[in-house]
Amino acid sequence: MTHQLTMTDVTFTYPGQNSPQLKNVTLSIKEGTFVAIMGGNGSGKSTLCKCLNGLIPHYYVGDYAGKTTVNGHDTTKVSVSELSKHVGYVYQDFENQLVSPRVLDDACFAPLHFGLSDFKRRGERALELMAISHLKDRYIWQLSGGQKHLLALSGILSLDPDIIIVDEPVSQLDPFHAEVIYKQLQALHQQGKTVIVIEHHASFVARYAEEVILMCEGEVLAHTPVREALENDALLSQAGVYPPEVTMMARAMHWHDQPLPLTIDEAESYFKPLLKQVEENKVEIAPEENNDVAVQLQGVSFHYQSLEKTTHQVFDQLDLTLYQGERVALIGNNGAGKSTLMKLLTGQMKPKAGQIEIFNEDISQQSPEQLAEYVTYIHQNPEHMFIDDSVEKDIGYFLKMRHVKDLDQRVARLLERFDLTSLKSRDARLLSGGQMRRTSLAIGEGMSPKLLLLDEPTATLDMAAKQHVKRLMQSQTGEEKTIVMATHDVSLVFDWASRVIVLNNGQIIFDGLPEQLVGDYHVLNKAGIILPEIVELSRRLKLPLMKNQQMFIDCLQREVM
Amino acid sequence: MDVVKTLTDKLSIEQVKIELLNTAYGYHHTFLQRLDPRTLFLWYLVFGVVPFFIHSTPVLIGLAAFLVVLTIMAKVSPLIIFILTLGLLTQGGSYLIVGLFFGGNVTAMLPLLKLTLKLSVISMASIVVFCSMSPEKLSDGLLKIGVPGQVSFSIGYAYRMLPTLVEEYHHIFLSYRLRGKKPAKKGLFYSRHLFYYIKLLIKSFYPLMLSVAKRSRTMVEALESKGSLYGFNHPKVKQLKLQHLTIKRRDVLFFSLSISYFIALIWLS
Repeated sequence: MTHQLTMTDVTFTYPGQNSPQLKNVTLSIKEGTFVAIMGGNGSGKSTLCKCLNGLIPHYYVGDYAGKTTVNGHDTTKVSVSELSKHVGYVYQDFENQLVSPRVLDDACFAPLHFGLSDFKRRGERALELMAISHLKDRYIWQLSGGQKHLLALSGILSLDPDIIIVDEPVSQLDPFHAEVIYKQLQALHQQGKTVIVIEHHASFVARYAEEVILMCEGEVLAHTPVREALENDALLSQAGVYPPEVTMMARAMHWHDQPLPLTIDEAESYFKPLLKQVEENKVEIAPEENNDVAVQLQGVSFHYQSLEKTTHQVFDQLDLTLYQGERVALIGNNGAGKSTLMKLLTGQMKPKAGQIEIFNEDISQQSPEQLAEYVTYIHQNPEHMFIDDSVEKDIGYFLKMRHVKDLDQRVARLLERFDLTSLKSRDARLLSGGQMRRTSLAIGEGMSPKLLLLDEPTATLDMAAKQHVKRLMQSQTGEEKTIVMATHDVSLVFDWASRVIVLNNGQIIFDGLPEQLVGDYHVLNKAGIILPEIVELSRRLKLPLMKNQQMFIDCLQREVM
Repeated sequence: MDVVKTLTDKLSIEQVKIELLNTAYGYHHTFLQRLDPRTLFLWYLVFGVVPFFIHSTPVLIGLAAFLVVLTIMAKVSPLIIFILTLGLLTQGGSYLIVGLFFGGNVTAMLPLLKLTLKLSVISMASIVVFCSMSPEKLSDGLLKIGVPGQVSFSIGYAYRMLPTLVEEYHHIFLSYRLRGKKPAKKGLFYSRHLFYYIKLLIKSFYPLMLSVAKRSRTMVEALESKGSLYGFNHPKVKQLKLQHLTIKRRDVLFFSLSISYFIALIWLS
């Protein structure tokens, strides 16, 4: 094997910045390896990858020193277009990478513009490789997020590069689609391609990657095989990366000297011998007595027109009652109707039939502005909520419109609580994912709602930001507030929710306690729910449902004693 | 106010988006859509420009009849037709009022009505042509007649972004509503509410600009690595891109028949 990518003493400073984003980076990557680049926000992961495909130094005019070679070419000597025949790059915001309206045209775009006469065949082949040939005549706005990501990959594969770089594939996708993307990357790797991913999620890295590059503040901390990196706790925490949950738990207990488990399969055989006897555990269910109705839907139907002018039925005669003080998790695959249900509750959409009552008032005659007095919807994409030019003004908008007297103090308190004070005069759109999410939560909190609707509050966050949001959510559980959260993040569901509703094609296929969901294979399969590692592990070990790491550790210690 | 309610239901932003895209991409396959873009350009040159210089009422009526048929054939979206008729009616109406106000009688109106007729012929011709060309076809056609690659690409790209932008605009508008406060009093003929909505519609453009600026960065980088700088004006790329454009029998037939109808009209009158 030869060294396909090399960087020697590369330092790069973005224009207008005082300190370099990359500091004396020296590394080499061999042909045909699957490498994961890990590190906290702002550690220089994306910058590193932009050096590899030549955008730095050709496109970003900063201070560049050192030497980067790709397949023996010095990146300063060849153009970006020339390099893209060797290196393909899929962005984190891959949607903006799609430039043509039609799927096949987009896949063909690069070979066509390089004047390759077999452009059509190349595009078709790339779509085939990603198993999305059946979509080739679609328009890109008809695709789901996962399909768009596969198309962005096809777009770069059409040039048949040897090296594929994917920037945080999981951040914009639900776990199910993320798994699909990784399967495809694995297949490409098996065909001999070099695959480089930027990834926060150690569980994916453990299962798919061979090597890990750990980065911290623009420097390469380590470049080692996966096991070595993920077992080295000191190094990981220096880089601001969490190891897989199962690894953390095994380390916390350290009972025997076998290598720490990295994946769930390894964890099963690691923990199994420790359990003496397995007793059948029954889940105790104590339904809460609660009669104060918060939301009541009766016979609600909703449909909308798609672009082809066909009617798409979302709900048909849906009945649902939510009680005050409940923490409801709404789960289900994309298109199941989670967001639609929430939008019906905010009044931005009106049901075509049936009745919705919120706190015993029929909302059909109420405008979204009126409902906003007690219902708050926090959008899946925080950017959609930013309507002013600073964090501070955005949080204060609702209060200002209502001429609240102590506006400044209340905004200051919110900024403090959500750890945004230092960012208050920045434009919210230019913040990092975690900061944007906190801003959107603060906006919601500022409206002091009785019913809070959260759409995917932890999507697109790195692990550290996710933990932060989780803590904020835990502290949100007031007595009276009813919270409904749509999410793909099932670990959050088990940790937080008091009631789980699974939607599938607009129908409620499960409604009950989180504990009851674990055993319901039928529902799990139908809704494409992937259980969190801890829950999956406790199921395989036939333990009672473990909601978080501490519970698992405590339980195992009791079992072993 | 039920009329207003049903009208606002029909005219939701979602609906407008659907109509716009249908107009642009035409999901129905009409005869006109199968024509070569160059035929349509040439046809438009005749039917979109020449009527300006025609003053004979019968010829204009004949042309209008022909274009109504074509408009039906092109399956133009109802929204576009609605906007067109609205424009023409208000124009005609205002002529009438102004004419009567200044002491004129109905005969004074005739030349003005003729102008309206002329304008409607030209607008219908434009609608027929642009509804029959998808943005891809339009940009290929432009490239073929020598417009630079960047321009023709921008047209296709603008359409690709259109649904995204409309959606984003819609989200921003809703965010204003979900955190705003509607005036408590309706005002005369809902005037306060109307004013509130119009204000929000305008305000929503500012956040949109900012998020578009953010998006364009990735797009420009992606274009660069997809070889567009190299390819936009390279003769080989152009040839590959345009190899599917051919003038067929139906193009010749359509063009010659339309022209002969036009000539026959002039000759008859």
